Amino acid sequence: MSFSELLVNYGGVVFGALGAALAALLAGIGSAIGVGMVGEATSGLMIEEPEKFGKSLVLQLLPGTQGLYGFVIALLAMGQLEVGMDLAHGLYILMACLPIAFVGWRAGIYQGKVAAASVTILAKNEEQTTKGIIYSVMVETYPLLAFVISLILLTAVNF
Amino acid sequence: MAIVKMSKFSLLTFAAKKEELLHELQKFQYVHFLNLKENEDMLEIGLEKIEVPERIASINDEIKNVSFAIDLLARYAEKKSGLQSLKEGRETLEFPELEERAQRINYRGIFEKIHGLDQEKKRIEQEITAIEDEIAQLTPWETLDISFAELYSFKKCQAFLGLIPKKRIERFQADFSDLALTYYEIVHTDSENAYILVLSHHSIMDETLERLKNHSFAHVEFPYTTKPAERISSLKSKVEKLQDEVAKIEDEFVNLSSHLPDFEIVYEYLMNKKIRVSAQENFLKSQQIVVIEGYIPTDRENEFHEIVKRELGNIYYLELKEADRNDPDVPILLSNSKFSGAFESLTSMYALPKYNEIDPTPLFAFFYCIFFGMMVADFGYGLILWLGTAVLLKFFKLAEKQKRTIRFFHYLSYATMFWGIIYGSFLGGIIELPALINPSEQYNHVLILSIALGIIHIFYALGIQGYIYLRDGKPLDALYDVGFWYMLLGGAILYLTGMFVPRIASYENISLTIMGIGAVGIVLTGGRDKKTIGGKLIGGLYRLYGVSSYVGDFVSYSRLMALGLSGGFIASAINLMVQMLFNIGFVGWVFGILVFIIGQAFNIFLSCLSGYVHTIRLTYVEFFGKFYEGGGKSFRLFRSEPKYIDLK
Repeated sequence: MSFSELLVNYGGVVFGALGAALAALLAGIGSAIGVGMVGEATSGLMIEEPEKFGKSLVLQLLPGTQGLYGFVIALLAMGQLEVGMDLAHGLYILMACLPIAFVGWRAGIYQGKVAAASVTILAKNEEQTTKGIIYSVMVETYPLLAFVISLILLTAVNF
Repeated sequence: MAIVKMSKFSLLTFAAKKEELLHELQKFQYVHFLNLKENEDMLEIGLEKIEVPERIASINDEIKNVSFAIDLLARYAEKKSGLQSLKEGRETLEFPELEERAQRINYRGIFEKIHGLDQEKKRIEQEITAIEDEIAQLTPWETLDISFAELYSFKKCQAFLGLIPKKRIERFQADFSDLALTYYEIVHTDSENAYILVLSHHSIMDETLERLKNHSFAHVEFPYTTKPAERISSLKSKVEKLQDEVAKIEDEFVNLSSHLPDFEIVYEYLMNKKIRVSAQENFLKSQQIVVIEGYIPTDRENEFHEIVKRELGNIYYLELKEADRNDPDVPILLSNSKFSGAFESLTSMYALPKYNEIDPTPLFAFFYCIFFGMMVADFGYGLILWLGTAVLLKFFKLAEKQKRTIRFFHYLSYATMFWGIIYGSFLGGIIELPALINPSEQYNHVLILSIALGIIHIFYALGIQGYIYLRDGKPLDALYDVGFWYMLLGGAILYLTGMFVPRIASYENISLTIMGIGAVGIVLTGGRDKKTIGGKLIGGLYRLYGVSSYVGDFVSYSRLMALGLSGGFIASAINLMVQMLFNIGFVGWVFGILVFIIGQAFNIFLSCLSGYVHTIRLTYVEFFGKFYEGGGKSFRLFRSEPKYIDLK
């Protein structure tokens, strides 16, 4: 079997799987970095004020959502994979996964930065913490939009 | 009107009477004093500031003492479980009751006792640390089986005790083994040092000392007479005795912790006293007269007047008038129905309205519910939320603030259940419900629904802006800033829908005309506050460019669909895992149930958190952006916020 034959026969499922993998992988990395960053920032706070743990946990969770969006898209993409699928179909799935993969990756990091900065608000003026949460949610608009587009792309075209 | 109407009062009376008056007003609590210190006009005519720093400082001292006692006793008091304390709640007291009880409590004696005991405890603990240091120094010599008295009483020899670095031991041994008339013994070695005893005859003392110096020998001397081991055991028994004393003091603290509630009452009393005393610094005075200004809710005017009359007899001058609508100093108090009241915290988190604005709370509350519900959208989750909040509200005694928060989520649970039914989702699909819209297949319906709700939300916000203009007697502004936008956006939407349902002829033309009129209107009127014609035109065009931000606003509502969907998918992914575990057998069942509970609980929390903050965003950015400015000062009750009790 020549390489081109291999590509035509099995390329579809491989590229489709690559799309699913990228969606879970990149968005997951972004969220992991973001969540980690906030975790580092909050652990210093726990020394003096352990009673703020609940609120700090909310801040830490915020950048975690990108990974979940990536996970959902990966699940949906996986549902379409078949061994003998068209190369075009597989490539299409790969493309459809890209928005949430890339936006989720970078946005997770940036949302993490905003949330980590908001830990200062929690430390110094606890009542205003929600404002920090809202700043950080502003970033999430874009992974949400990317998620919507990935979702629509995945289901819009029938092969 | 959800902003409480305020009246401004000016009160002149004799300075001697002010303390009693303030005391009565604190019971009344709905008074907000204006700080007159910055009132240049009054200062110019010779009125003086009132300053009472010594009194405030002395109250602060008392508060410090009481807080010290509370912090200390709380550590020794018997703790109630979190559930128990929630169930019982905090004690509710009337203000006079609080004062009466606080005055009956003689806390100073107990404070002195606690303070004394604490000092004593610290002293003993220091002593223990000192003795433990001593023991640590002696321990290496423990095996030296000779008393210090004997050691230092040789006639022809001298004994040295000391340590050298461990790495020098071998060279030390080599050096000293050939030295005549000298004895040495390595008593103990630890990770760093060797502890050495050296005995040397007087005749070669100089040589010995020289060699010791070469090996960095550090001399130690002990002022004891007994054997090291005996000394250590006597020190240890001393430590035990001291520790007993500490334990006794701690027992004493446990006994004294029954006074904790008393200290808490005194604390609340003092905090209120501090507010009352420092309130005077807002006033101005002449030699005899004191000038007080401030705000009270208009519907409490009579009550206020009664109090003033009762306390001051006829010797006062009081002027009451409606607060000026555009005065930025008027403090804001919100009053809403039970339902909208639960959403007030969101308004104050953004910014309280100014006195001439409207309170947006009742306006956004309903939409907040709908949007939150759409983002969480699971009947099971809604049911859990409903049940949890209902139990809290029904069986637990909560502070008013907590109650509002719980009620807030209670209302949201209805919307969550509602959308759960529409999406036919129960805990991510463990029970099949008939779905009106199946979000995973008809996601485009959900998307259109989301955007449509967004359009309604934004049109509604514009409508409120229009209402504000009309209320303020500016109908033309309402046309320019709201009417034309309605036409432009409405026309555009009509045009777009026309592409899908091209039934009526000239539908396109009509919608385009409406849109055109709106656009032209915006260009012509958008820059009306500019001076030059060029400026007006550019201002108008810039306004029209603002249409792009509307497109962004509408798209932003797609999060309604996205969050609902992602939450649903995660829930069903958890169920999928559980299903796989269940297929394994008995162990799988155990883990499956665990995964189900933890996973779903996590998803409920995350969905609610996302729903909460993303709905806030839609409210603050997309909705408030159209009509609401905010920036009012909050009305501060003439009370301190209670920390340990509920005050009525």
